Amino acid sequence: MNILEAHKIHKTYGSRGNKQEVLKGLDLQIKQGEFVSIMGASGSGKTTLLNILSTIDHLSSGSISIEGKEMTKMKERQLAEFRKHYLGFIFQDYNLLDTLTVKENILLPLSIKKVSKNEANKRFSDIASELGIEDLANKYPSEISGGQKQRTSAARAFIHEPSIIFADEPTGALDSKSASDLLNKLTRLNETRKSTIVMVTHDPVAASYCSRVIFIKDGQIYTQLNKGDEKRQDFFKDIMKTQAILGGVQNEH
Amino acid sequence: MNINLLIWRNLKKNIKNYYLYVFALAFSSSLYFAFVTLQFDPALDEASGTVKGAAAIRAASVLLIVIVAVFLLFANNLFIKRRGQEIGLFQLIGMTKGQIFRLLTVENFLLYFGSLMIGIFLGFLSSRFVLMILFKLISIDELAELQFSSQALVQTLIVFAVIYLLIMANNLFFIHRQSILSLFKVKATTEGTVKRVTVVEIVIGILGLCFIATGYYVSSQLFSGDFTSVNELFLAMIFILGSVIIGTYLFFRGSITFIGNVIRKGKGGYLNITDVLSLSSIMFRMKSNALLLTVITTVSALAIGLLSLSYIQFYSAEKSAFERVQADFSTNSEKEANMLTEAFTDHNIAYTEETMEIVVATFNMADMIHLSVDPESAGVDVQKMESTVVSDKDVDGLDVKPNEVFFTGWPAMYDPIMDVNENSSIVMHTTANEYKLDLVGLNDEPIIPFYFTFGGSPTAVVDDTVYKQLQNALNDDLQTIFKDQGNRFYKINLENQDDLVRANDLYDTLDFERNTWSLQLEFQGVKEFIGLTLFITGFLGLTFLITSGCIIYFKQMDEGEEEKNGYTILRKLGYTQNDLLKGICVKQFFTFGIPLILSLFHSYFAVKSGWFFFGTEMMTPTIIVMVIYTVLFSIFGLLAVLHYKKVIKEAL
Ligand SMILES: Nc1ncnc2c1ncn2[C@@H]1O[C@H](COP(=O)(O)OP(=O)(O)OP(=O)(O)O)[C@@H](O)[C@H]1O
Ligand SMILES: [Mg+2]
Repeated sequence: MNILEAHKIHKTYGSRGNKQEVLKGLDLQIKQGEFVSIMGASGSGKTTLLNILSTIDHLSSGSISIEGKEMTKMKERQLAEFRKHYLGFIFQDYNLLDTLTVKENILLPLSIKKVSKNEANKRFSDIASELGIEDLANKYPSEISGGQKQRTSAARAFIHEPSIIFADEPTGALDSKSASDLLNKLTRLNETRKSTIVMVTHDPVAASYCSRVIFIKDGQIYTQLNKGDEKRQDFFKDIMKTQAILGGVQNEH
Repeated sequence: MNINLLIWRNLKKNIKNYYLYVFALAFSSSLYFAFVTLQFDPALDEASGTVKGAAAIRAASVLLIVIVAVFLLFANNLFIKRRGQEIGLFQLIGMTKGQIFRLLTVENFLLYFGSLMIGIFLGFLSSRFVLMILFKLISIDELAELQFSSQALVQTLIVFAVIYLLIMANNLFFIHRQSILSLFKVKATTEGTVKRVTVVEIVIGILGLCFIATGYYVSSQLFSGDFTSVNELFLAMIFILGSVIIGTYLFFRGSITFIGNVIRKGKGGYLNITDVLSLSSIMFRMKSNALLLTVITTVSALAIGLLSLSYIQFYSAEKSAFERVQADFSTNSEKEANMLTEAFTDHNIAYTEETMEIVVATFNMADMIHLSVDPESAGVDVQKMESTVVSDKDVDGLDVKPNEVFFTGWPAMYDPIMDVNENSSIVMHTTANEYKLDLVGLNDEPIIPFYFTFGGSPTAVVDDTVYKQLQNALNDDLQTIFKDQGNRFYKINLENQDDLVRANDLYDTLDFERNTWSLQLEFQGVKEFIGLTLFITGFLGLTFLITSGCIIYFKQMDEGEEEKNGYTILRKLGYTQNDLLKGICVKQFFTFGIPLILSLFHSYFAVKSGWFFFGTEMMTPTIIVMVIYTVLFSIFGLLAVLHYKKVIKEAL
C-alpha cells in the first residue's frame, strides 16, 4: 500500500522576471514502511522535494496524497494539524529553539499528545541514551556542537513516534560512529514500528541503509535503485556507480 | 559607486525599516511643538498669569525635553543595532569608519529633519485642539485661536538639533566600539540570549521584592507622624523612592527569571507551546531589559501618581468649594447679608436665607482619641481640645439626644495620626458646668464655612438644650473671630439655579467689606488653578504613556524579528498560527502587564500616602485614572499582538 503518492509535482521559485523551475513534473510513490533515500547533486532540489512532500512548502502544480488524503486540497490549519500528529522532521539546519534546553526541545512534540509526564520522561531517556545525548538534557542549543544539535533534532523527530519521518541529511554533521548510531536507530524504527522514512543524503553509506534510493536530476527522477535481497556492501557499490554516472565524476568513497 | 549614490540607495532601502523611527520623531516633535506653542501663546498668559502657572509650564517643558531625548535615543539605538550587519559589510568592502559615520549622518539628517517638519506641522494643527481642551478644563469661555509662533519654532528646532547631535555622538560611539566581526553578531550579543539561572539570581529576586515591600511600608507611615521635621520627611521620601526603584530593578533582573524558573523546573522539561512562546522568552528577556523596564515602570508610576493626585484635586474641587462656602452665598456679616438679599429682591431673584449659630468650647477627648504620634510634637492636648459647636436644630437630618455628640467634617488628614474609639464619651466644659457626652458618630462632611473651621477641624453637633446652656456659659476667650461676627453666619441659597449667573453678577457689583463668599466664584478660582495643573500633568502623563508604550512596542518588534526563526521552526513542526498567537498573547500580557501592574501598585501607594493634602475623595478619581491609563496602555499591547500576527504569518 502506498502511504505517499506524488503526481506530476512542479515547483517554481521566483516571480515573473526570473523564474526558476526546480521540480519539473516529478512522480513518486512511497510504500508503507519503506525506508527511502533521495540523492542528487547540491542544488538539485532535494530539500525542496522533501519540503513539498512534508507539506511545509506549497507546490506550484501537481498533487500529493498521504494515506489516501489529498494534501493539496487541505487548508493551512489542517495541514499543520496533520504535520503535528503524523510527521516527524530532522532538518538540514537542525531548527532547534534557542530558548529551550535540549530536553525541552525534544519533548516539544509530545506536549500536544496526551502523554503523561512519566511516560514522556521515559521516552526521553530511552531515545537520548540511544543517540548518546542524555548528558546534554539541560544544555541550551548554543552550548552544544553541530553534531549534537543534529542528534537532538533527530530525537525530537522520533519522540512522538510519527508514521512518516522526513530527514534532510540527518548525518551531515556527524562522525561515522554517531552517523551509524543514528542510521541504526532509523532502521530499527523502520523495522519495529513500521515507520516510513524518507531521507535526503549525499552520503552513499547512509543511503545504503535504505531499501530504495531515488536519484534526482534536473527536477526529474533520474533513476531508482532497489536494495532487494542485496547485502549492504553490494548496494553501496551500486549507489556509488549510479552517483558516478549521475555526477559525471568518480566519488572518492 | 560614489558615496552619494550609496546614501541615496540606503535611504530608499531603509525607509521601510525606519518608519517607526520616523513615527517616533514626528510624534515627539509634534508634541513638543504643540506644548511650546501654548507656552508662547498670549491667550495662555491670562490663564497662567493669574494662577502663576507659567513656572509650572516651563518646568513641564524641560521634563518633556528629557523624555523626548531619552525616547529618541532609544529608538535610534534599536535601529542602528538592526543595521549592524550592513555597517559591518561596508567596513568589509573597505569603507573607513569615518566614511560610514558620514553616510549615517547624512542619511539620518534627511530622515530626522524631514520627520521633524512633519511633526511641527502636525504639532501646529493639534496645538489648537490642545488649547481648546485647556480652556475647557479651566472654564475659560474663549475661542481657541492660534497663530503660528516663530518663537516656538525656533525653540523646537534648537532642542531637536541638540538631540540630533546627541544621537550622532551615540552613533559615532557605536561605530567606533565595534569590530567587523562583532557588528555581524550584534543582534545575538546585545540580548545576552541564553544564560543559566544562578543562585545569585534567586537572592536578587527575593531582595527585589523586599525592597519594594519596604518602600511601600515606609510610604504608608510617611504622614503618620513618625517623621516630624521637614528634613526627616524629605529623607523618608528619598528613601522610599530609592528603595522602590532599586526593588523594581532587582525585580525585573531576578524575580521574574526566578519565578519563571520555578515554574519551568516544575514542568520537568515538558513545555507546551504557550510556555515556549511566553515563559521561556520572557524569562531571558526580562533580565536584559531590566533597566529599560525599570525606567518605564517608574515613569508610568510617576505619571499615574501625578494624574491621580491632580484629578483628586479637580474631582474634589466642587466639593471643596462647597466646603468653603456651604451655600450659594454665605457671609458672616449681618449687614452684608442684608445688602445681598435686598439686591436679590430688587432683581426678582428668589432665595432662602438661613442663619446658623456657632460657638467654641473645650473638650476632654482623652477617652475618644488615641494619638498614634507623640502629643508634644503634634502639639495636641487631648484633655483640652478646642472645637466649634453647633446645635442639632441647625443641622438637617441630624437629631442627637442631650447626652450625645456627633462630629461633622472629621478630616481624612486625622486618620494616620489618631485612632477614634467609636464607643466612648467626651467631656464638654463650659464656664458653669461639665457635660459628659456619648459619641454617636462622625462623618467627613463639614457643615460650617471653611473660614470658621480653624483650617479644617471638625465641628461638634449637640442637642439644642445643651447648646443653649453652653451659649449662656461661654468662655469668651475662646470665641476669637466668632465673637466679632456675633457667633453666627448666614447661608443664602437661590431657589432657582437658573439665576446663578445673574446673582453672581450682582454679587460682583456689591461692595463688601467683610467676608462674603460666592460658591460659584470660589469654585471658578479653584478650578482655574487646578485645571491648569490637571492639564499639565495630563499632557505629561500622556507623553509618558505614549513613549513608554512605544518603547515596549518597538522592543517587541525587535524581539519578533529575532524570534521569527523560532516561529518558522514551530510552524514546520505543525503548530498552527493560532497556537503560536495564543502563546504570543500570553507573552504580551506579561510584557506589558508586569510593568503596568507594578506601576499601578507603586502609584497607588504613593497616592495613598499623601492624597489628603489634595482633596477629599481618593478612590473614585484614582480608579478612574488607573482604568484610563490601563486601557490606553493596553492598546500598545494589542498593536504588538497584531505585529506578531504578521510576523508569524510570514514565518513559513
Ligand atoms: N526559497 C527559495 N527561493 C528561491 N530559490 C530557492 C529557494 N529555495 C531553494 N531555491 C533554489 O532551488 C534549488 C534547489 O534547492 P534545494 O535546497 O532543494 O537544493 P538541495 O538539493 O537540497 O541542495 P543541497 O544538497 O545543497 O542541500 C536551488 O537552486 C536553490 O537556489
Ligand atoms: Mg538541501
